[in-house]
Amino acid sequence: MSQEQHHINYVKIWAILVVLLVVSVVGPFFGVKWITLITAFGVAVVKARLVVQNFMHLRIEKRIIKWALGTTLVLMLLFFAGTAPDVMEHHGVNWTNDAALAAVERGVEEGHGEVADDGHEAVGESDDGHEAAGRRAVEHEEAATAGQEFDAKAAFNTTCSVCHGTAGDGKGPGAVALDPKPANFTDSAFWETRTDEEIFKAIKEGGAAVGRSPLMVAWGATYSDDQIHALVAYLKTFRKK
Amino acid sequence: MKPIATTRSATGIPTGRLAVWWVLASEVVIFGGLLGSYVMHRLGHPEWGAAAAHTNTWIGAFNTFVLLTSSLTAVLAHQAAERGDGKKAAKLLMFTMLGALIFVSVKSFEWTMEIREGFTITANGFWSFYYTAAGLHAAHVIAGAVIMGFIAHDAWRGRELQRVELIGIYWHFVDVVWIFLFPLLYIAK
Repeated sequence: MSQEQHHINYVKIWAILVVLLVVSVVGPFFGVKWITLITAFGVAVVKARLVVQNFMHLRIEKRIIKWALGTTLVLMLLFFAGTAPDVMEHHGVNWTNDAALAAVERGVEEGHGEVADDGHEAVGESDDGHEAAGRRAVEHEEAATAGQEFDAKAAFNTTCSVCHGTAGDGKGPGAVALDPKPANFTDSAFWETRTDEEIFKAIKEGGAAVGRSPLMVAWGATYSDDQIHALVAYLKTFRKK
Repeated sequence: MKPIATTRSATGIPTGRLAVWWVLASEVVIFGGLLGSYVMHRLGHPEWGAAAAHTNTWIGAFNTFVLLTSSLTAVLAHQAAERGDGKKAAKLLMFTMLGALIFVSVKSFEWTMEIREGFTITANGFWSFYYTAAGLHAAHVIAGAVIMGFIAHDAWRGRELQRVELIGIYWHFVDVVWIFLFPLLYIAK
């Protein structure tokens, strides 16, 4: 065993590892997702293999060690397969993970704030995310009682755009986790298959009330009827011929 | 006079090395569970991308380079020990410990910057994982460096040279964990 070890050129292995490190750092600069995935995780697997086989000498180790390590890896795969579906999905048949959905929504809103180059403030807010949500709710209530000065666009951007997108195309950041996907208001087919009353009811009582996706939440407690009518009118501005 | 377990070897593997492998097998479950949980949460939470964008790729890459290089000196120490050159093995282990020191120093500098900006362990899920995973890893780096100090001390005097290989195997494992942590925390944004 020791003789075989001396055939390994350790400095050469190290040089390859450093080159691979450079590859994984350069990868994201192409801006292509699958290239980044390969240069990040594909390269990581290759690097780990090089270290395990040549530095740890697993290549020339007794087979029982390979079996022991292999067993733990299989256990990890079982663990992942058993728990990942519940963690990665936030809803399924007859269940929703409201806490996770709320966390996504909160995080996405903060993410928008962060783009304004000051990460400091955005994270400061995240510490009291509940407070911020509370403030928003109070603002909505005040708007409801005040009646006038309701800005449908601002309301849409605050409450709806997380899933429906600021462009109304149903491609908001929160949409990633949703199935069925949020409605696309730019699609003329959407408008041809629905009446204003239906849309009004969906906003007020939720998607399930009109036989649509239960993931569309009811907003009747947040917005008054007048405000919901204003929202319906605003949604129509997204429609493309 | 050594305890009998030290010299007995039913598997054909020296007992010390077998023990290290068993330690690592359990470490696979510890880090595997942690990283697996991170991956599933990351996939379920698209908003974590915004938080991950704040990690510093260059610092992460520099530390990866430091760990890879310390792995090289660790394996060269093993080679020296096999040739019976305890002094050279001890020196190379010292270089590895220097790598550990640089790694941990850079990490504390990095964390100080991040915490000052408000990215604390309670900021959100991403930062919780960030500090937990990198912290657990850093604890392994520190523990490995301390043990390495004792082994280098003995190796310098030509004693217990087989232990140089044992700490090396552990050290490379810590390196491998970082090889996966680096893309997970610094590259996938």
